[in-house]
Amino acid sequence: MSTDQRVLVVDSSGETHEVLQAALARSGVRTYGARRTRRGLALAEEIRPDLIVLDLEVDEAEAEATCFPFAEQSRRNATPLVVLGSVRRVEGGSPLGEFVPKPYDYGPLVRKIEELLARNDECRRRAA
Amino acid sequence: MASLFVIRGSDQGSRFEFTDRARIGRDSTNDIQLHDTEVSRQHAEIQPAGDQFVLVDADSSNGTYVNGRRIDRCSLASGDQVQIGRTLLLYTGPAEESEDDLAGAIDIAAQPAAQPSRIVHSMSQEDGSRAFDLDADLPQHSWLARARSNLQVMYRTALAVSHTLDIDQLLQRIMDLIFEWVEADRGCIMLIDAESGRLEPKARRTRGRKPGARHTDEERIRISKTILDYVLQHNEGVLTSDAQQDNRWDAAASILQAGVREAICVPMQGRYDVVGVIYIDTSTSPQEVIRKGGAHQFKEDHLKLMIAIAHQAALAVEDTRYYSAMVQAERLAAIGQTVAILSHHIKNILQGIRGGSYLIEMGLSNGDADVIQRGWKIVERNQNKISALVLDMLTFSKERQPERVPSELNQVVGEVIELMQSRAEELGVRLSWRPAPRMETFVFDPEMIHRAVLNVVTNAIDAAGELLAESDEQPAPTSDRAPPTVDVAAEWDEAAETLRVTVRDNGPGIPPDTMKNLFSPFVSSKGSRGTGLGLPVSQKILTEHGGQIRVESSPRGSMFTLEWPAVAPEVGPATHTE
Repeated sequence: MSTDQRVLVVDSSGETHEVLQAALARSGVRTYGARRTRRGLALAEEIRPDLIVLDLEVDEAEAEATCFPFAEQSRRNATPLVVLGSVRRVEGGSPLGEFVPKPYDYGPLVRKIEELLARNDECRRRAA
Repeated sequence: MASLFVIRGSDQGSRFEFTDRARIGRDSTNDIQLHDTEVSRQHAEIQPAGDQFVLVDADSSNGTYVNGRRIDRCSLASGDQVQIGRTLLLYTGPAEESEDDLAGAIDIAAQPAAQPSRIVHSMSQEDGSRAFDLDADLPQHSWLARARSNLQVMYRTALAVSHTLDIDQLLQRIMDLIFEWVEADRGCIMLIDAESGRLEPKARRTRGRKPGARHTDEERIRISKTILDYVLQHNEGVLTSDAQQDNRWDAAASILQAGVREAICVPMQGRYDVVGVIYIDTSTSPQEVIRKGGAHQFKEDHLKLMIAIAHQAALAVEDTRYYSAMVQAERLAAIGQTVAILSHHIKNILQGIRGGSYLIEMGLSNGDADVIQRGWKIVERNQNKISALVLDMLTFSKERQPERVPSELNQVVGEVIELMQSRAEELGVRLSWRPAPRMETFVFDPEMIHRAVLNVVTNAIDAAGELLAESDEQPAPTSDRAPPTVDVAAEWDEAAETLRVTVRDNGPGIPPDTMKNLFSPFVSSKGSRGTGLGLPVSQKILTEHGGQIRVESSPRGSMFTLEWPAVAPEVGPATHTE
């Protein structure tokens, strides 16, 4: 896995970003945080991350509205999307996306992110 | 025991019971405390007068009203509506009869008796609507007089059933009404139990009987099962007499016993079903029969009107039942929603604790003190969240009553500011605090006021912080907008005898549709950060202190004003008058 990978974490409390930042820094992954959906989408276009973690701290009705633009964008940019939330089925969920129901453990989540990044990396190298 | 039940106002649903003198007002020193700013501190008083109670206005600013009429002094009757400020209360007088001995006082007799009663008249339920039909046998003026009296009875029945809250109370009122109008000796109302399908006595009355006295054997009402079955099966009202006039009932297996001469039994026909029966009877001694020349006490006319009254009562019983079923369903739905919101919130807190723990574990295994530090901070923050949630829930759940002690407002608010300073800094919000220049010691619950102010200040900081969250952690203030600020000020308004705390933020303001539900519990506009309990809790605390929260909001910010009466520590008894 190359060490210049970038992960964007969108969560309103900033806590998920804080934890993932410390955890992913060990494998040399840089993280970016956004506290609002709008800001997150803009940042995703700007920095073109290798993976997006979307924490749905909102309730069910808002969750779909939040998730949809991210699903669209990640499909367009072929960016894997990891959705953390309490909603099982998200309308318009991206096939590139992974859904992790709350409450989750960080160990498996971090492993999953690293796995996705590695797979992504390999795809890219093969394509090159 | 008499009671006042709040049907409208901030204390809606509360029932105040009293057996003696009771003072009504906004102050906590009252026996009946109403959390209504339109209510004077000492507003009115209930005074016993024989078996009844009298309501006396205590020179209140906004007056005391009974059934829409302003009063200085008024004797209360069951069903009276008392308006005090914005609060509407329903008065129920001391019960005339305890409910527990009802079942023992009414028998349904299935065994045949020596002197069988007969049905003299029967009348279909629909005939009740002909209570005002022109009677060809009667001269015009006499018919008119009777029709008017019938109309009067029906009007009063309609009035009696119009504000129903309690079925037992309603039936007792109907019974009283019937007794005023007809010379019955005993009466009872029985309702069909929804589960067993059996008739259960609900209200009874005996003429000339002292309230609270035990029933003598003679007063026991025995109702023939044959007649009850006939009434229920045919849905017809009947007039019975034990005088030998009719042969239709010779074959009857069970009959009315005791010295009953005449009785009326009518079905209570509701919209869909018969919900019960009303029964009245009267006995005439042989001497009286001779004196009256055998004239019947009960006439066909009585039967007609009884059917009409029973129909009205049945409609009210049905309405009350549907209403309580609906309230029950709504309550269950609300519980479901509450549990869902709480578990969602607790889940987010748990997630935060897991994140912090994960960092601590990682730091411990790597020997990285910095990571441990960061993890611990997250755990601590979530601990605070859960303790705030528990405190809010406790405050909201009425488990805690205000404990008023002499307190200093500047100090109480100062502590809130100190507590919130780090949170404000974290979000890049400037938190300023202006204590009241003049302040004395007043009586209020310092912990609760602390909580109320804390919740409002937390919201204000979050709202101001929203400006930065939108632009994402780049605290470089844009030139067109002031840096996010929250201003808190305390004030003692001597002229208005009011304590005031204002919290002003320059956040994005409150959208008009959020404004509507601002104080509804569990409606949070802050997503997972809010429990939806903060503002309702603050409002509840202020209301309990006889105060209120006012909100002004524009797209350039919001201002919350918490104010409540400044009550000086008491030296002697309270001498407040308004």
